[in-house]
Amino acid sequence: MGFAELILYFVLALYLVGSGGHICGILTRKERPRALGGVVSGAGFALHGLSLGIMLAQTPSLALASGEFYLSLFSWSLLLVLFILWVKLKLSFLGLIATPLALVILLGSQAVTAARLPLPPALAGLFFGLHIGTLFASMGLMAMACAAGIAYLKLEKRIKSKEKLTGVWASLPSLDKLDAANRLAVTVGFPLYTIGLVSGFLWAGITWKHFFSWDPKEVAAVFVWLLFAYLFHQRMALGWRGRKTAWLAIWVFGLCLASMLGINFFVKTHHSFA
Amino acid sequence: MQHDIHLFGLNHRTAGVEVRECFALSDQERFEECVLSLGRAVDEVMVLSTCNRVEILVVSPRGSGVSEKVLECWARASGRHSPDLAPHVYEHRGLEAVEHLFQVASGLDSMVLGEPQILGQLKQAYKASVDRGQAKVVVNRLLHKTFSVAKRVRTETGIGTSAVSISYAAVELAKRIFGDMADKKAMLIGAGEMAELAATHLVGAGVRSLCVVNRTLSRAEELAKRFKGKAYAFAELIDRLPEVDIVITSTGSTEPIIRARDIKDVLKKRKYRPMFFIDIAVPRDIDPDINSLDNIYLYDIDDLKEVVEENKAQRQTEAEKAREIVKSESIKFGHWLDSLDLQPTIVDLLSRGEALARKELKRTLKRLGPDCPDEVRLAMETLALAVARKLHHDPLVFLKRRAQEESGERFLDLARRMFNLDQDTVPPDAHQDRKPGSED
Repeated sequence: MGFAELILYFVLALYLVGSGGHICGILTRKERPRALGGVVSGAGFALHGLSLGIMLAQTPSLALASGEFYLSLFSWSLLLVLFILWVKLKLSFLGLIATPLALVILLGSQAVTAARLPLPPALAGLFFGLHIGTLFASMGLMAMACAAGIAYLKLEKRIKSKEKLTGVWASLPSLDKLDAANRLAVTVGFPLYTIGLVSGFLWAGITWKHFFSWDPKEVAAVFVWLLFAYLFHQRMALGWRGRKTAWLAIWVFGLCLASMLGINFFVKTHHSFA
Repeated sequence: MQHDIHLFGLNHRTAGVEVRECFALSDQERFEECVLSLGRAVDEVMVLSTCNRVEILVVSPRGSGVSEKVLECWARASGRHSPDLAPHVYEHRGLEAVEHLFQVASGLDSMVLGEPQILGQLKQAYKASVDRGQAKVVVNRLLHKTFSVAKRVRTETGIGTSAVSISYAAVELAKRIFGDMADKKAMLIGAGEMAELAATHLVGAGVRSLCVVNRTLSRAEELAKRFKGKAYAFAELIDRLPEVDIVITSTGSTEPIIRARDIKDVLKKRKYRPMFFIDIAVPRDIDPDINSLDNIYLYDIDDLKEVVEENKAQRQTEAEKAREIVKSESIKFGHWLDSLDLQPTIVDLLSRGEALARKELKRTLKRLGPDCPDEVRLAMETLALAVARKLHHDPLVFLKRRAQEESGERFLDLARRMFNLDQDTVPPDAHQDRKPGSED
């Protein structure tokens, strides 16, 4: 077993314990297990970053061409966004969703049998880095917005219908804070997603001499971008907030996830991981 | 050296407000002077006097029969006669007194079940007693225990977690919608008593500003002044709505004063920022249909009453758990009280020494292994137990001598604490129960 692999097992174990801490914290409404979950997820996150760094440093061409690396990067981005939101908005409850999700995606990444292809020289270019980095950061943000959106819709329904807010409901943040997570994801995530898409097209233009090739992944990405743009516009220009934006955020992330898991793994395109 | 703990009191259950007013001990010093003049009949005393209750804790030597004398002092300090007071007073003795005090501190005896203010008042009463040098071994220990029991009840039961008043429930709901209230504005429509109370809670929760709209402008101005807010004429109501996040209505109008069609425009103007309406008026001031609009939350008096009733029922369930805790803790306190006799302390000290010696012996024998001869094992056991007993010999002789003195229980208490015979965690403020320069 190599060093990078050993680290990955540690990361999985830490995410598992971290998820347990978050779940216990929410169920018992106590701060200590939640804080413990945060610290353990934090340690896992740092080790995860190290493992990604090692993968990239050892054989950059193999790493950048494998689905394993991208899924692992996605899982890491999720937690990066969680920690930013935790500090900025005190939305620690998102750990309940993000840490188990990061764990599942990371486990999924291990199940992927990646074809290890040598990387074309052009891959190392600036646009490719921008393309990958910004897209994953914005997907992490949208994952958070989706989690916050689900919590918003459930909590709002209970408040509207005047049901009791005890147990797990009492430990959820206020509607205002959940909406703030959506606002942050949209205001930061949409420009990042746009940069990711544009840089991808530019990179394709430089590498393959055509910007858009009707590849299924490209079509799906444009469709997601349109929906994301609609959400961004309604939110920024018309001041939409609350229920509608929560639903839109759920749709945008759902489509992102479907496109990543469905198209990248099961459809033959130049974005395929297999 | 046996003690009697007496607890005399009257509260909202045993006396009406007029009686409570008459016998509230506003002049505590006069009462205490009188009680302390009883000489050796009273060792320690502590008085708690609030608008809802008076509780007098007296520690006296066993069989000194202080009850009537204390009531006389109480009546005299209130400028009344003892027969006027006696029918309203309850007296608890021994463990019953301890249990009652634990219940009072935990809010189990309060008018609003589980209310936390009483604990702060009890802490103040205890501090005053310590400052005057009237809290000694028993009161010190009893009050520290009382505070830890109250804390245990708070953390282990949900007795204080839910709102049990309409206005507080409204504010709690506002927090579930808005979270931080520091940048929120509230509007009071009408100037009813309940709306005013809700406004007081909202201001207490930290809302940025409050405005008042009323048909009589002068009344609105008067109320607005009290909350450092602004007053507006009734005609301005709809124009002012886009500026506010929380609206409390309590007018005497027979027709709704806010309708769904008004709110649609208001929402557009405020870019769909959420609004929370609390309609406390009967008949209702706000069209109930507005609750179906996005980002609008409307609660009327019945909704809030339902929340409060559910919470009250929940508190009753939690109170049962709390009473169990109080009962078991008062029994534990009884054990400590009994230990202030010399004999139990000697037994505890020797048993603890022996238990420690056996524990260490077991560890050492394990290290020596199974080949260690039996005679060596026996010799080591004799040695360990002898060391433990001899080590305790001098402290025991000291305690036996001191126990003959008047304040002997102080040394017994000290010994119990030093050797941790009650297996208590020492509270961080344990040293504060000694007034500098006092005889303790």
